[in-house]
Amino acid sequence: MENNNIILSVKDLVVKFKVRDRVLTAIRNVSLDFEEGKVVAIVGESGSGKSVFTKTFTGMLDLNGKVTNGEVWFEGKNLMENKTDEDWLKIRGKKIATVFQDPMTSLNPVRTIGYQISEVIIKHQGKSKEEAKKEAIQLMERVGIYNAEQRYNEYPFMYSGGMRQRIVIAIALACHPKILICDEPTTALDVTIQAQIIHLIKDLAKEYGFTTIYITHDLGVVANVADRVAVMYAGQIIEYGEVEEIFYDPRHPYTWGLLSSLPQLGEKGSELFAIHGTPPSLFEEIKGDAFAPRSDYAMRIDFEEEPPMFKVTDTHFAKTWLLDPRAPKVEKPKVIQNLHEKLLALTAKGGIYGEH
Amino acid sequence: MKKYLFIRILKSIFSILVVVSIVIVMVYKLVPTTKMFGNDAGYQRLKGIDKKIYEYNQLERLGYLDYVTTTDMCSEVYGEDGLSACLAGENTQEAYKAFEDRGYTIEVINDVDEKGQPATATIGYRYYNPIELIANFYSKLIVIDNPWAVEDANNPDLERKYYIGQDQNGIPALMCSGCNYKYQIYFDGSFPFIHQNIIELDLGDSYPTRIGVSTVSIIYSGQGSQSPFMQTFPTGVERSSALMQHTCRYKANPDHMDTQLFTDNYASCDARYDAPSMVNTSLIMGFISLVLAYIIALPFGVAMARNKDKLVDKIGIVYINLLIAVPSLAVIFFLKYIGSFFTLPDRFPQLGFGDIRSYIMPIIILALISTPSLMMWARRYMVDQSNADYVKFARAKGLSQKEIYTKHILKNAIIPIVNGIPQSVVSCLSGALITETMFSIPGMGKLLPDSIKQLNINMVLTLTLLFTTLSVIAVICGDILITVVDPRIQLAAKGD
Repeated sequence: MENNNIILSVKDLVVKFKVRDRVLTAIRNVSLDFEEGKVVAIVGESGSGKSVFTKTFTGMLDLNGKVTNGEVWFEGKNLMENKTDEDWLKIRGKKIATVFQDPMTSLNPVRTIGYQISEVIIKHQGKSKEEAKKEAIQLMERVGIYNAEQRYNEYPFMYSGGMRQRIVIAIALACHPKILICDEPTTALDVTIQAQIIHLIKDLAKEYGFTTIYITHDLGVVANVADRVAVMYAGQIIEYGEVEEIFYDPRHPYTWGLLSSLPQLGEKGSELFAIHGTPPSLFEEIKGDAFAPRSDYAMRIDFEEEPPMFKVTDTHFAKTWLLDPRAPKVEKPKVIQNLHEKLLALTAKGGIYGEH
Repeated sequence: MKKYLFIRILKSIFSILVVVSIVIVMVYKLVPTTKMFGNDAGYQRLKGIDKKIYEYNQLERLGYLDYVTTTDMCSEVYGEDGLSACLAGENTQEAYKAFEDRGYTIEVINDVDEKGQPATATIGYRYYNPIELIANFYSKLIVIDNPWAVEDANNPDLERKYYIGQDQNGIPALMCSGCNYKYQIYFDGSFPFIHQNIIELDLGDSYPTRIGVSTVSIIYSGQGSQSPFMQTFPTGVERSSALMQHTCRYKANPDHMDTQLFTDNYASCDARYDAPSMVNTSLIMGFISLVLAYIIALPFGVAMARNKDKLVDKIGIVYINLLIAVPSLAVIFFLKYIGSFFTLPDRFPQLGFGDIRSYIMPIIILALISTPSLMMWARRYMVDQSNADYVKFARAKGLSQKEIYTKHILKNAIIPIVNGIPQSVVSCLSGALITETMFSIPGMGKLLPDSIKQLNINMVLTLTLLFTTLSVIAVICGDILITVVDPRIQLAAKGD
């Protein structure tokens, strides 16, 4: 993973939460480097720690959460050394911006759209009210709001969901951040709007040159936008690689399961694939491979010892004993064997993530 | 908005009418009439037939029933011509019969007259049914003054006209000759600066306490002793007098005292008093204490929310619990005791209206008593809002905690609080019962419980009408206020 263009580097991160007098380990020893200008997608099921992981970059963990170990290096500084809110204010919004899932509630209902955009510009760029207004209107136009000048003084309830998400993106971009974290940015939107928003973020990333981190469980989005994919399970990254590698040459049984459950692959008349069982409780210490109890390919070692990160290619890593030379050779499930062709066929039919 | 408000006001008027009508029926039908005479000293002195007749007269005046004497019945049935024959004994039975057919009860009273001699009187009465009671109440409720209002046989040449004149201060006013009031519309230095005498509410007289004084003037006219001031009267006489010329009404027989001052018959004027009226007393104290309560409670509540689970919050919760749990009577006694260390009077009349020290303790107590709930709600709304998604996003935007609270959360949390302000103002009038009783403050708080206790039905009805109207207005005002602070809410009727 050696690269000189690394913008954010996470090392051995452990995040623990105190929930009703019990300690829950949400992130277990995660290390990951983010390359400048690349789009990284973090996928995984609910509760796998995707959001918590990115929240540590901006110091936005809930009050009962704490980083107990690890470092996050950004611009030559270990962010985990930030103690006060003051320290974080230099990063949050200014250098690392976040777009949240629900645009319907992300905006203050009783403040005008214009106020909420200008506020950030005034705060972080130190501009005057008039300058901020001018820039806010430009931003609104850039994210595709017509009549920006008139709509500047309108309230969020006068905007549709898609337009609100555009505003949220405009606010996130108001300070030209280095990194944009999109925490499920399209989950609350309908599919046509989803595609528009994703294209908008893609275009803006090119224009403003920021690094994008997507958090999603929508593999369709991942296939469309990501350069790199990190698959998370039970607080760990279990597979990481180029998007093609993850989609066409996945190595971890969990990734196989995820891909097999793509509804697009379902055939008429047969049941959709689902990974059986439930994720492990994070309150208890996990022994071996966290996915082993749900895996069809689990070996005895999976229950005894945690697998290391095996290197598949220079860019592709997976955390499973199946990659050990001593492990038996296992074929990935049939349904995802020629995923490339299947997905291409879907795209050709004019699926929502096809070219516009 | 206009259409909505119009419909809303119509609905409000309807609900006021319904509430007041229900109370009218309850008061007239459920209150035992015999008990209310117990408080009437004049009634106690009467005996025999007179007592009985006084009773029926009074009940008629209060609107319970229609009372008729034998004379009334005879003249109704036989007219002026047969009246004397009827009274002499012929045809009386027919007259009684005619009235019995109309639903009247004919009662023969065998008792003693004022000299103790046995005597007999025959009278008739009919209690009104609920529909009539309600109709009677509303039909006499609004009195509109007009140039033909005065009927004075001694003054047939009285002019009937409106004209623009000047009052004693040289300020123009709409005046009237022939109306009950001389000044119809006039200006003066007291709020709301423009006043009218055209429309008046007639809600009957107070009984059995303050007999003969109209309930409206008990509430609205000044208290204490008369307060004269230098003024010029229409005759040019300049003297110190408490009379307020703007309130002068027509007087049929002005005496020589009146003719010294007035050039016309409008000589029956209200006097100015040195103490505010009951309603003003309560309003002054209530309003100041309300402002004080908001000034104390809102910042405290906000501070509690900002420091949730920290020391400030814990102190606040202890304070809230203490003030809510301890009976307010005990709180008042305790605070009065503390006040006595600062030589503050423990009863209002000790120093009276003129002294500012009379007001300090009641206002502080009224304010403190209303702080806990205000604080609790302010804290709750703030805490609720601080968990909202837009707060999370505001943090992600890089705003500081302080900015998030002052610029975002407060503006959302204030919405329900603003909505409740007009209702708090109204509750100043009716809600200060215990404090006003403890300090013997001549305000509105005690009026309703007192009049219920004394079976003063007109007063009960007056207060019912007043409080329902004010409450309804307060709710409307609250809703209008909310549109100011919350852009999402617009008052609009369907199809507006």
